[in-house]
Amino acid sequence: MTAPLLEIRGVSKRFTKRLDVAGKIAQHLGSKIREETVHAVDAVDLSIAPGEVLGLVGESGCGKSTLGRVVAGIHGASDGQILYDGTDIAALTGAEKRAATLAIQMIFQDPFASLNPRMRVEDIIGEAPRVHGLVSTSDTSDYVEEVMGKVGLDPSLKRRYPHQFSGGQRQRIGIARALAVKPKFLVCDEAIAALDVSIQAQVINLFMDLRQKLGLTYLFISHDLSVVEHIADRVALMYLGRIVESAPTEELFAAPKHPYTKALLAEAPRLDQRKRDFAPIEGEIPSPLDPPPGCHFNPRCPLAREDCRARRPMLETISPTRAVACHHWTET
Amino acid sequence: MRDVLQVSALRTHFFTHAGVVKAVDGVDFTVRKGEVMGLVGESGSGKSITGFSILGLIDPPGRIVDGSIRFNGAEIANAPEPALQKLRGNRIAMIFQDPMMTLNPVLRIDTQMIEAIQAHESVPRQTAWERSRDALGLVGIPSPEERLRAYPHQLSGGMRQRVAIATAFLNRPDLIIADEPTTALDVTIQAQIIHEAQKLTRQTGTAMIWITHDLAVVAGLADHISVMYAGRIVEQGATDDVIDRPLHPYTVGLLGSVPSANKRGQRLYQIEGMTPNMLAMPKGCAFAPRCRAATPDCQTAPPITEVDGRRLRCHYPQVQGAAP
Repeated sequence: MTAPLLEIRGVSKRFTKRLDVAGKIAQHLGSKIREETVHAVDAVDLSIAPGEVLGLVGESGCGKSTLGRVVAGIHGASDGQILYDGTDIAALTGAEKRAATLAIQMIFQDPFASLNPRMRVEDIIGEAPRVHGLVSTSDTSDYVEEVMGKVGLDPSLKRRYPHQFSGGQRQRIGIARALAVKPKFLVCDEAIAALDVSIQAQVINLFMDLRQKLGLTYLFISHDLSVVEHIADRVALMYLGRIVESAPTEELFAAPKHPYTKALLAEAPRLDQRKRDFAPIEGEIPSPLDPPPGCHFNPRCPLAREDCRARRPMLETISPTRAVACHHWTET
Repeated sequence: MRDVLQVSALRTHFFTHAGVVKAVDGVDFTVRKGEVMGLVGESGSGKSITGFSILGLIDPPGRIVDGSIRFNGAEIANAPEPALQKLRGNRIAMIFQDPMMTLNPVLRIDTQMIEAIQAHESVPRQTAWERSRDALGLVGIPSPEERLRAYPHQLSGGMRQRVAIATAFLNRPDLIIADEPTTALDVTIQAQIIHEAQKLTRQTGTAMIWITHDLAVVAGLADHISVMYAGRIVEQGATDDVIDRPLHPYTVGLLGSVPSANKRGQRLYQIEGMTPNMLAMPKGCAFAPRCRAATPDCQTAPPITEVDGRRLRCHYPQVQGAAP
């Protein structure tokens, strides 16, 4: 096995809501008010090989976007390490740190909110490579045209503002902005969720073309199983801050092991199913402020027993390529 | 089965400063009792405006300029407001993508549901309360008595959508128009909502129009599918026919661009270009500029033809599923 390009080791991210003055006074006077902590990401281990596409799937509030942001360096991790090419990014300094940070870029979900409406496209794309000295000021214009060509945008539109583009084109601008600093690793956070079906196909194809041409590695975050099944080599499922299962895409879709994975696969609407009876799992994802003890999935799980409420199941390796976090996965 | 709704040659136009937007431009369909019709299209195709037109919810500068909407045999297009008010929330109900379009954020759930009943029927408050409680139970809300006392912000997105669905079913309507009701929800919650809606239509015989951009959802739910593009229905037929053997190049392209297992890792079929500007529609067939089968003939608008049990607007139906 090749050494991973990116390795996530025991990464956690906690958000704490601090008490304000009124809250502290109330606490002092005996109120039960206290600081609230959300464990958005809870001791996650993942590794991604060079050239691989890892799909990270989960429902809203499961922490998949937070994990993506920690990987991209937007949030610092509360615990754990992110290793890029074998070295801990947090331990790097100076030029090395900058190189590692530039190598990991992020593409966001909302192509309307993620572009500065007051900047021209050429500045949106050209600013970062110029600031980081990747191109000289005089070459920036040509360079922007080259990057726009790569993502299928007409370079003659570079003087325009984001509002003059459609949603699909704006997403291409976001991709061009990320590619402009010559990254090795892209974090795509629901990068196609806001687009129409026919435009989604165009952007998925673009991602696959870029992967081939530029040898990119992706962390592809999505709630949409069919998209992940199409594009990813390996899939990791997240539930309430923890990875519950990871496996090569084909094996996962053919034989899911974790009860949550099974439920998700069974319930995703598919074109080949007609007049089916939808028979959903009960309940909703619990609040991350107050997660259930033991296995987080236990209140909704058909296999749940006493030990599921008592002990957290760790992610255990069940074959050279697969891992699952469930006390009773053999019974599924 | 009895026809609940017949829409024919419906045209809803918006008269803006920049020009006339023909959001709905000649739409025909029929929905029968107990049937689910999937109305599929991308953003800007006019699918939601079709739904709003049926309920008479088109505000100026828009209006229904032509066509007829017959509900249980009576004409309701451009009907006077009092007549429409008797229908809305009573015989025809709507479920929106955002449940907060239905719910008032400053009123408790019980206040809103009881009001919805008493607006159409003079029943004692206690009876209305009991009916509300039962309706919440039917859509799978645990401890409905407590939930009735809650405000909308105290409920999760999935719970709010259930309340909106329960409210829509309160007066046992003949028709429900559901406009992307599960688009904002997670997969497991989406399955729960579809399950409840499916169960209720079967129990009550309520007809439903399910408006969505997601072909996979209607494939599992609808009896009939109408595919809309730029204000017109381009293909209409039984779900199996439309999904398995699409005839219109747009439907072929839409289905081809849905990722699925059998195409894993391959390039997806992509429809080039984007939906046309509604102010400057192409002449003739609106899809022609993006269509691979287009010829100069497509400069004239294709008439509606019956092909293989389907109604179609295309000069060159892709018979035999001539795969792209």
